[in-house]
Amino acid sequence: MGNSSKDDSTTDGDTSSGDTPPSNPNLYAEGEKVLAYHGPRIYEAKVQKAEQGKKDWRYFVHYLGWNKNWDEWVGSERLMKHTEENVLKQQALDKKQGVDKNPKSGRSAQTKPKSSADAKVEKEDLKTNVPKGKKRKNDSGAEKDTLSFEKLVKIQIPSTLKKQLVDDWEYVTQQDKLVKLPRSPNIDDILRKFLEYRLKKEGTIPDPVVEVLKGIRCYFDKALPVMLLYKKERKQYQEAVKDDISPSFVYGGEHLLRLFVKLPELLAFVNIEEETLTCLQQQFIDLLKFMQKNQSTFFLSAYDGSKGVEGKGKD
Amino acid sequence: MESGGKGREEEQDGMSVHSPCKAPPSSASSLPKEQSQVELELRLLEALEIYPPVKLQGIHRHFVLFGLMEFLRRSFDRHFSSDEVLQLLDRFYNLEVLKPDDEEMEILNHEEEFCLPQSFFVKEES
Repeated sequence: MGNSSKDDSTTDGDTSSGDTPPSNPNLYAEGEKVLAYHGPRIYEAKVQKAEQGKKDWRYFVHYLGWNKNWDEWVGSERLMKHTEENVLKQQALDKKQGVDKNPKSGRSAQTKPKSSADAKVEKEDLKTNVPKGKKRKNDSGAEKDTLSFEKLVKIQIPSTLKKQLVDDWEYVTQQDKLVKLPRSPNIDDILRKFLEYRLKKEGTIPDPVVEVLKGIRCYFDKALPVMLLYKKERKQYQEAVKDDISPSFVYGGEHLLRLFVKLPELLAFVNIEEETLTCLQQQFIDLLKFMQKNQSTFFLSAYDGSKGVEGKGKD
Repeated sequence: MESGGKGREEEQDGMSVHSPCKAPPSSASSLPKEQSQVELELRLLEALEIYPPVKLQGIHRHFVLFGLMEFLRRSFDRHFSSDEVLQLLDRFYNLEVLKPDDEEMEILNHEEEFCLPQSFFVKEES
Protein backbone atom coordinates (compact mmCIF):
# COMPACT_ATOMS: atom_id res chain seq x y z
CA MET A 1 0.00 0.00 0.00
CA GLY A 2 2.64 2.44 1.05
CA ASN A 3 4.76 1.73 -1.95
CA SER A 4 2.12 2.26 -4.54
CA SER A 5 1.11 5.61 -3.18
CA LYS A 6 4.70 6.74 -3.21
CA ASP A 7 5.03 5.81 -6.86
CA ASP A 8 1.89 7.59 -7.78
CA SER A 9 2.81 10.76 -6.08
CA THR A 10 6.19 11.05 -7.77
CA THR A 11 4.81 10.56 -11.25
CA ASP A 12 1.87 12.82 -10.65
CA GLY A 13 4.10 15.51 -9.31
CA ASP A 14 6.40 15.48 -12.31
CA THR A 15 3.66 15.68 -14.87
CA SER A 16 1.67 18.38 -13.21
CA SER A 17 2.52 20.95 -15.83
CA GLY A 18 2.02 18.77 -18.92
CA ASP A 19 -0.75 16.22 -18.42
CA THR A 20 -4.21 17.21 -17.49
CA PRO A 21 -5.09 16.03 -14.02
CA PRO A 22 -7.38 13.02 -13.79
CA SER A 23 -10.86 14.06 -14.68
CA ASN A 24 -12.44 12.12 -11.83
CA PRO A 25 -12.61 14.07 -8.61
CA ASN A 26 -12.09 12.58 -5.21
CA LEU A 27 -15.64 11.84 -4.15
CA TYR A 28 -15.11 10.42 -0.71
CA ALA A 29 -13.02 11.84 2.08
CA GLU A 30 -10.93 9.84 4.49
CA GLY A 31 -13.00 9.09 7.53
CA GLU A 32 -16.26 9.54 5.65
CA LYS A 33 -19.05 7.13 6.37
CA VAL A 34 -20.34 5.61 3.17
CA LEU A 35 -22.41 2.79 1.82
CA ALA A 36 -20.49 0.13 -0.03
CA TYR A 37 -21.54 -2.68 -2.27
CA HIS A 38 -20.03 -5.97 -1.27
CA GLY A 39 -21.34 -8.96 -3.10
CA PRO A 40 -25.10 -8.77 -3.42
CA ARG A 41 -25.64 -6.34 -0.60
CA ILE A 42 -24.87 -2.83 0.54
CA TYR A 43 -23.06 -2.29 3.81
CA GLU A 44 -22.22 0.67 5.96
CA ALA A 45 -18.55 1.36 5.64
CA LYS A 46 -15.95 3.92 6.43
CA VAL A 47 -13.29 5.25 4.12
CA GLN A 48 -9.97 4.71 5.84
CA LYS A 49 -7.76 5.95 3.05
CA ALA A 50 -8.31 7.63 -0.26
CA GLU A 51 -5.65 7.33 -2.86
CA GLN A 52 -5.34 8.62 -6.38
CA GLY A 53 -4.49 5.93 -8.86
CA LYS A 54 -3.55 6.50 -12.50
CA LYS A 55 -7.08 7.10 -13.66
CA ASP A 56 -9.33 6.91 -10.69
CA TRP A 57 -9.47 7.29 -6.99
CA ARG A 58 -9.28 4.19 -4.88
CA TYR A 59 -10.64 3.88 -1.39
CA PHE A 60 -9.64 1.60 1.41
CA VAL A 61 -12.85 0.82 3.25
CA HIS A 62 -13.71 -0.80 6.52
CA TYR A 63 -17.14 -2.40 6.76
CA LEU A 64 -18.61 -1.09 9.98
CA GLY A 65 -19.15 -3.81 12.50
CA TRP A 66 -17.23 -6.40 10.51
CA ASN A 67 -13.87 -7.85 11.19
CA LYS A 68 -11.16 -5.80 9.57
CA ASN A 69 -10.13 -8.80 7.56
CA TRP A 70 -12.83 -7.63 5.19
CA ASP A 71 -11.24 -4.23 4.73
CA GLU A 72 -10.32 -3.69 1.12
CA TRP A 73 -9.52 -1.29 -1.67
CA VAL A 74 -12.45 -0.47 -3.89
CA GLY A 75 -13.19 1.90 -6.70
CA SER A 76 -15.75 4.67 -6.46
CA GLU A 77 -18.24 2.55 -8.40
CA ARG A 78 -18.60 0.37 -5.32
CA LEU A 79 -19.42 3.29 -3.05
CA MET A 80 -22.36 5.56 -2.39
CA LYS A 81 -22.81 8.61 -0.25
CA HIS A 82 -24.38 7.87 3.12
CA THR A 83 -27.67 9.64 2.47
CA GLU A 84 -31.14 8.83 3.57
CA GLU A 85 -32.07 7.94 0.05
CA ASN A 86 -29.21 5.50 -0.30
CA VAL A 87 -29.97 3.95 3.06
CA LEU A 88 -33.43 3.21 1.74
CA LYS A 89 -31.80 1.62 -1.26
CA GLN A 90 -29.77 -0.52 1.09
CA GLN A 91 -32.84 -1.57 3.00
CA ALA A 92 -34.69 -2.39 -0.16
CA LEU A 93 -31.82 -4.58 -1.29
CA ASP A 94 -31.76 -6.31 2.06
CA LYS A 95 -35.40 -7.13 1.71
CA LYS A 96 -34.86 -8.45 -1.75
CA GLN A 97 -32.06 -10.70 -0.58
CA GLY A 98 -34.24 -12.02 2.17
CA VAL A 99 -33.09 -10.76 5.51
CA ASP A 100 -32.25 -13.64 7.71
CA LYS A 101 -30.72 -13.19 11.11
CA ASN A 102 -27.18 -13.30 9.82
CA PRO A 103 -27.12 -11.54 6.51
CA LYS A 104 -23.48 -12.41 6.15
CA SER A 105 -23.73 -16.03 7.15
CA GLY A 106 -21.89 -16.94 4.02
CA ARG A 107 -19.02 -14.86 5.23
CA SER A 108 -18.82 -16.15 8.70
CA ALA A 109 -18.49 -19.70 7.53
CA GLN A 110 -15.51 -18.68 5.54
CA THR A 111 -12.09 -18.27 7.02
CA LYS A 112 -10.07 -15.11 6.73
CA PRO A 113 -9.39 -14.06 3.19
CA LYS A 114 -5.86 -14.35 1.93
CA SER A 115 -4.51 -10.87 1.69
CA SER A 116 -2.90 -11.50 -1.66
CA ALA A 117 -6.15 -12.35 -3.33
CA ASP A 118 -8.14 -9.25 -2.58
CA ALA A 119 -9.92 -9.26 -5.85
CA LYS A 120 -10.90 -12.87 -5.58
CA VAL A 121 -12.47 -12.47 -2.22
CA GLU A 122 -15.56 -10.90 -3.53
CA LYS A 123 -16.18 -13.62 -6.03
CA GLU A 124 -15.69 -16.27 -3.44
CA ASP A 125 -17.99 -14.41 -1.18
CA LEU A 126 -20.68 -14.37 -3.80
CA LYS A 127 -20.32 -18.06 -4.28
CA THR A 128 -20.55 -18.89 -0.62
CA ASN A 129 -23.57 -16.70 -0.25
CA VAL A 130 -25.50 -18.53 -2.88
CA PRO A 131 -26.44 -21.92 -1.46
CA LYS A 132 -29.31 -20.78 0.65
CA GLY A 133 -31.37 -23.91 0.78
CA LYS A 134 -28.65 -25.83 2.54
CA LYS A 135 -29.05 -24.56 6.01
CA ARG A 136 -27.37 -26.71 8.57
CA LYS A 137 -29.83 -27.78 11.15
CA ASN A 138 -27.80 -29.59 13.76
CA ASP A 139 -27.63 -26.43 15.74
CA SER A 140 -24.88 -27.00 18.26
CA GLY A 141 -22.65 -29.31 16.30
CA ALA A 142 -22.39 -27.28 13.16
CA GLU A 143 -21.77 -24.04 14.96
CA LYS A 144 -18.86 -25.37 16.89
CA ASP A 145 -16.65 -26.61 14.10
CA THR A 146 -16.51 -23.24 12.46
CA LEU A 147 -15.97 -20.78 15.23
CA SER A 148 -17.74 -17.91 13.64
CA PHE A 149 -15.63 -14.85 13.99
CA GLU A 150 -17.99 -12.47 12.33
CA LYS A 151 -20.95 -12.48 14.63
CA LEU A 152 -21.98 -9.04 15.67
CA VAL A 153 -23.28 -8.45 19.13
CA LYS A 154 -26.81 -7.26 18.86
CA ILE A 155 -27.62 -4.94 21.66
CA GLN A 156 -31.26 -4.21 22.07
CA ILE A 157 -31.49 -0.77 23.59
CA PRO A 158 -34.75 -0.30 25.54
CA SER A 159 -37.13 2.01 23.73
CA THR A 160 -37.19 4.74 26.36
CA LEU A 161 -33.41 4.89 26.17
CA LYS A 162 -33.58 5.02 22.41
CA LYS A 163 -35.81 8.01 22.80
CA GLN A 164 -33.23 9.44 25.17
CA LEU A 165 -30.60 9.11 22.45
CA VAL A 166 -32.80 10.87 19.94
CA ASP A 167 -33.44 13.69 22.40
CA ASP A 168 -29.73 13.87 23.01
CA TRP A 169 -29.15 14.20 19.27
CA GLU A 170 -31.83 16.87 19.09
CA TYR A 171 -30.39 18.93 21.94
CA VAL A 172 -26.83 18.87 20.76
CA THR A 173 -27.03 18.94 17.00
CA GLN A 174 -30.28 20.82 16.44
CA GLN A 175 -30.55 23.14 19.41
CA ASP A 176 -26.85 23.79 20.02
CA LYS A 177 -27.08 22.74 23.61
CA LEU A 178 -24.56 20.82 25.65
CA VAL A 179 -24.51 18.51 28.64
CA LYS A 180 -23.17 20.53 31.52
CA LEU A 181 -19.92 19.02 32.75
CA PRO A 182 -18.82 17.52 35.05
CA ARG A 183 -21.85 15.34 35.41
CA SER A 184 -23.11 13.89 38.62
CA PRO A 185 -23.61 10.98 38.81
CA ASN A 186 -20.73 10.40 36.46
CA ILE A 187 -20.12 7.15 34.63
CA ASP A 188 -17.92 5.83 37.35
CA ASP A 189 -20.76 6.41 39.82
CA ILE A 190 -23.29 4.75 37.56
CA LEU A 191 -21.20 1.63 37.15
CA ARG A 192 -20.53 1.49 40.87
CA LYS A 193 -24.23 1.85 41.61
CA PHE A 194 -24.92 -0.97 39.25
CA LEU A 195 -22.49 -3.20 41.16
CA GLU A 196 -24.08 -2.24 44.46
CA TYR A 197 -27.47 -3.03 43.05
CA ARG A 198 -26.34 -6.45 41.86
CA LEU A 199 -24.67 -7.18 45.17
CA LYS A 200 -27.83 -6.34 47.02
CA LYS A 201 -29.93 -8.43 44.71
CA GLU A 202 -27.74 -11.48 44.37
CA GLY A 203 -25.49 -11.43 47.40
CA THR A 204 -22.30 -11.74 45.34
CA ILE A 205 -20.81 -10.14 42.31
CA PRO A 206 -19.36 -12.69 39.95
CA ASP A 207 -15.92 -11.85 38.63
CA PRO A 208 -17.06 -11.83 35.01
CA VAL A 209 -19.51 -9.03 35.75
CA VAL A 210 -16.74 -6.94 37.21
CA GLU A 211 -14.59 -7.61 34.18
CA VAL A 212 -17.31 -6.55 31.77
CA LEU A 213 -17.89 -3.31 33.65
CA LYS A 214 -14.18 -2.60 33.59
CA GLY A 215 -14.29 -3.27 29.90
CA ILE A 216 -17.12 -0.82 29.38
CA ARG A 217 -15.32 1.84 31.35
CA CYS A 218 -12.11 1.30 29.43
CA TYR A 219 -13.94 1.43 26.10
CA PHE A 220 -15.64 4.60 27.12
CA ASP A 221 -12.47 6.38 28.14
CA LYS A 222 -10.75 5.49 24.89
CA ALA A 223 -13.71 5.80 22.57
CA LEU A 224 -15.17 9.06 23.83
CA PRO A 225 -12.86 11.45 22.00
CA VAL A 226 -12.67 9.23 18.94
CA MET A 227 -16.27 8.33 18.20
CA LEU A 228 -18.73 9.36 20.89
CA LEU A 229 -18.82 13.12 20.49
CA TYR A 230 -20.84 15.28 18.21
CA LYS A 231 -18.74 17.90 16.49
CA LYS A 232 -20.25 20.64 18.58
CA GLU A 233 -19.04 18.98 21.76
CA ARG A 234 -15.35 18.84 20.88
CA LYS A 235 -14.38 22.17 22.32
CA GLN A 236 -16.13 21.38 25.54
CA TYR A 237 -14.30 18.08 25.71
CA GLN A 238 -10.94 19.77 25.43
CA GLU A 239 -11.84 22.08 28.25
CA ALA A 240 -13.41 19.52 30.55
CA VAL A 241 -11.04 16.61 30.19
CA LYS A 242 -7.63 17.84 31.24
CA ASP A 243 -4.79 15.45 30.59
CA ASP A 244 -4.90 12.94 33.41
CA ILE A 245 -8.55 12.85 34.37
CA SER A 246 -10.48 9.95 32.97
CA PRO A 247 -13.59 10.85 30.95
CA SER A 248 -15.65 8.44 33.06
CA PHE A 249 -15.33 10.89 35.92
CA VAL A 250 -16.49 13.83 33.84
CA TYR A 251 -19.24 12.49 31.62
CA GLY A 252 -22.48 10.82 32.61
CA GLY A 253 -25.29 8.63 31.38
CA GLU A 254 -25.93 10.64 28.23
CA HIS A 255 -22.56 9.77 26.79
CA LEU A 256 -22.39 6.29 28.26
CA LEU A 257 -25.56 5.49 26.40
CA ARG A 258 -23.93 6.49 23.11
CA LEU A 259 -21.26 3.87 23.77
CA PHE A 260 -23.89 1.16 23.50
CA VAL A 261 -24.61 2.27 19.96
CA LYS A 262 -20.94 1.82 19.13
CA LEU A 263 -20.26 -1.31 21.18
CA PRO A 264 -20.97 -3.77 18.38
CA GLU A 265 -18.43 -2.02 16.19
CA LEU A 266 -15.78 -2.06 18.88
CA LEU A 267 -16.40 -5.64 19.89
CA ALA A 268 -16.12 -6.74 16.30
CA PHE A 269 -12.38 -6.39 16.75
CA VAL A 270 -12.41 -9.15 19.34
CA ASN A 271 -13.18 -12.68 18.29
CA ILE A 272 -15.67 -13.90 20.80
CA GLU A 273 -17.28 -17.31 20.84
CA GLU A 274 -20.98 -17.44 20.41
CA GLU A 275 -21.81 -18.73 23.88
CA THR A 276 -19.65 -16.10 25.50
CA LEU A 277 -21.20 -13.47 23.30
CA THR A 278 -24.62 -14.44 24.56
CA CYS A 279 -23.43 -14.00 28.15
CA LEU A 280 -21.97 -10.67 27.26
CA GLN A 281 -25.13 -9.53 25.57
CA GLN A 282 -27.12 -10.39 28.65
CA GLN A 283 -24.80 -8.33 30.78
CA PHE A 284 -25.15 -5.34 28.51
CA ILE A 285 -28.89 -5.68 28.69
CA ASP A 286 -28.78 -5.88 32.49
CA LEU A 287 -26.84 -2.67 32.65
CA LEU A 288 -29.12 -0.96 30.15
CA LYS A 289 -32.18 -1.99 32.10
CA PHE A 290 -30.59 -0.62 35.23
CA MET A 291 -29.98 2.66 33.46
CA GLN A 292 -33.53 2.66 32.24
CA LYS A 293 -34.80 2.11 35.75
CA ASN A 294 -32.83 5.11 36.93
CA GLN A 295 -33.43 7.19 33.86
CA SER A 296 -34.55 10.24 35.81
CA THR A 297 -31.38 10.38 37.91
CA PHE A 298 -28.84 9.25 35.32
CA PHE A 299 -29.96 11.54 32.53
CA LEU A 300 -30.45 15.27 32.32
CA SER A 301 -33.91 16.41 31.39
CA ALA A 302 -32.57 19.67 30.00
CA TYR A 303 -29.24 20.51 28.42
CA ASP A 304 -27.31 23.71 28.77
CA GLY A 305 -27.92 26.32 26.14
CA SER A 306 -24.30 27.32 25.89
CA LYS A 307 -23.93 28.73 22.43
CA GLY A 308 -25.74 31.76 21.14
CA VAL A 309 -27.36 32.46 24.48
CA GLU A 310 -24.31 34.17 25.86
CA GLY A 311 -25.76 36.89 28.04
CA LYS A 312 -29.22 35.71 28.88
CA GLY A 313 -30.51 32.34 29.94
CA LYS A 314 -29.31 32.81 33.45
CA ASP A 315 -32.00 31.17 35.48
CA MET B 1 19.17 -42.44 30.46
CA GLU B 2 15.59 -43.30 31.05
CA SER B 3 16.29 -46.67 32.49
CA GLY B 4 18.99 -45.24 34.70
CA GLY B 5 16.63 -42.69 36.13
CA LYS B 6 14.03 -45.27 36.72
CA GLY B 7 16.50 -47.45 38.50
CA ARG B 8 17.43 -44.69 40.86
CA GLU B 9 13.83 -43.96 41.57
CA GLU B 10 13.19 -47.52 42.50
CA GLU B 11 16.16 -47.49 44.73
CA GLN B 12 14.90 -44.42 46.52
CA ASP B 13 11.46 -45.84 46.82
CA GLY B 14 12.90 -48.96 48.27
CA MET B 15 14.81 -46.99 50.84
CA SER B 16 12.04 -44.61 51.84
CA VAL B 17 9.26 -47.09 52.25
CA HIS B 18 9.56 -48.36 55.74
CA SER B 19 6.35 -50.24 56.00
CA PRO B 20 5.69 -51.86 52.65
CA CYS B 21 2.05 -52.58 53.33
CA LYS B 22 0.88 -48.94 53.30
CA ALA B 23 1.62 -45.65 51.54
CA PRO B 24 1.88 -45.72 47.78
CA PRO B 25 5.00 -44.10 46.31
CA SER B 26 4.78 -40.36 46.67
CA SER B 27 4.90 -39.74 42.93
CA ALA B 28 1.60 -41.50 42.42
CA SER B 29 -0.30 -39.17 44.68
CA SER B 30 0.88 -36.07 42.82
CA LEU B 31 0.10 -37.52 39.45
CA PRO B 32 -3.56 -36.49 39.18
CA LYS B 33 -2.60 -33.01 40.23
CA GLU B 34 0.06 -32.76 37.56
CA GLN B 35 -2.34 -34.12 35.04
CA SER B 36 -4.93 -31.52 35.85
CA GLN B 37 -2.30 -28.82 35.48
CA VAL B 38 -1.40 -30.10 32.06
CA GLU B 39 -5.04 -30.21 31.15
CA LEU B 40 -5.47 -26.67 32.38
CA GLU B 41 -2.54 -25.40 30.39
CA LEU B 42 -3.70 -27.21 27.28
CA ARG B 43 -7.12 -25.66 27.54
CA LEU B 44 -5.65 -22.27 28.11
CA LEU B 45 -3.51 -22.56 25.00
CA GLU B 46 -6.60 -23.59 23.10
CA ALA B 47 -8.39 -20.54 24.39
CA LEU B 48 -5.51 -18.32 23.37
CA GLU B 49 -6.09 -19.29 19.78
CA ILE B 50 -9.38 -17.45 19.98
CA TYR B 51 -8.26 -14.72 22.33
CA PRO B 52 -4.74 -13.70 21.35
CA PRO B 53 -2.67 -12.48 24.31
CA VAL B 54 -1.67 -9.31 22.43
CA LYS B 55 -5.21 -8.10 22.87
CA LEU B 56 -4.77 -8.25 26.63
CA GLN B 57 -2.68 -5.14 26.37
CA GLY B 58 -5.10 -2.69 24.88
CA ILE B 59 -8.63 -1.39 24.97
CA HIS B 60 -10.10 -4.85 24.48
CA ARG B 61 -8.23 -6.27 27.48
CA HIS B 62 -11.21 -6.79 29.72
CA PHE B 63 -13.39 -8.40 27.11
CA VAL B 64 -10.58 -10.73 26.09
CA LEU B 65 -10.06 -11.62 29.72
CA PHE B 66 -13.78 -12.15 30.04
CA GLY B 67 -13.66 -14.46 27.04
CA LEU B 68 -10.84 -16.49 28.59
CA MET B 69 -12.67 -16.75 31.90
CA GLU B 70 -15.79 -17.98 30.18
CA PHE B 71 -13.87 -20.43 28.03
CA LEU B 72 -12.19 -22.01 31.05
CA ARG B 73 -15.38 -21.97 33.05
CA ARG B 74 -17.12 -23.98 30.38
CA SER B 75 -14.19 -26.35 29.92
CA PHE B 76 -13.82 -27.20 33.59
CA ASP B 77 -17.27 -26.46 34.86
CA ARG B 78 -16.01 -24.21 37.59
CA HIS B 79 -15.49 -20.54 38.18
CA PHE B 80 -12.23 -18.86 37.21
CA SER B 81 -11.35 -15.46 38.59
CA SER B 82 -9.57 -12.91 36.47
CA ASP B 83 -6.51 -13.16 38.70
CA GLU B 84 -6.40 -16.88 38.27
CA VAL B 85 -6.48 -16.54 34.50
CA LEU B 86 -3.78 -13.89 34.56
CA GLN B 87 -1.57 -16.06 36.75
CA LEU B 88 -2.02 -18.95 34.38
CA LEU B 89 -1.10 -16.74 31.46
CA ASP B 90 1.96 -15.63 33.31
CA ARG B 91 3.38 -19.13 32.90
CA PHE B 92 3.58 -18.57 29.17
CA TYR B 93 3.80 -14.88 28.55
CA ASN B 94 5.35 -11.80 29.94
CA LEU B 95 2.25 -9.74 29.36
CA GLU B 96 3.85 -6.48 30.29
CA VAL B 97 6.17 -6.64 27.34
CA LEU B 98 3.33 -7.05 24.87
CA LYS B 99 2.39 -3.99 22.86
CA PRO B 100 -1.09 -3.26 21.57
CA ASP B 101 -1.40 -4.18 17.93
CA ASP B 102 -1.78 -1.86 14.96
CA GLU B 103 -5.43 -2.64 14.64
CA GLU B 104 -5.99 -0.83 17.85
CA MET B 105 -4.12 2.24 16.72
CA GLU B 106 -6.28 2.16 13.64
CA ILE B 107 -9.47 2.45 15.66
CA LEU B 108 -8.15 5.13 17.91
CA ASN B 109 -6.60 7.23 15.20
CA HIS B 110 -9.72 7.62 13.13
CA GLU B 111 -11.61 10.37 14.78
CA GLU B 112 -15.18 10.66 13.65
CA GLU B 113 -18.32 12.38 14.76
CA PHE B 114 -20.84 10.33 16.71
CA CYS B 115 -23.66 9.34 14.43
CA LEU B 116 -26.97 7.98 15.58
CA PRO B 117 -28.12 5.26 13.18
CA GLN B 118 -31.11 6.03 11.02
CA SER B 119 -33.11 3.25 12.64
CA PHE B 120 -33.39 5.25 15.83
CA PHE B 121 -35.34 7.95 14.07
CA VAL B 122 -37.53 5.60 12.14
CA LYS B 123 -38.59 3.74 15.24
CA GLU B 124 -39.57 6.90 16.97
CA GLU B 125 -42.08 7.87 14.36
CA SER B 126 -43.96 4.63 14.26
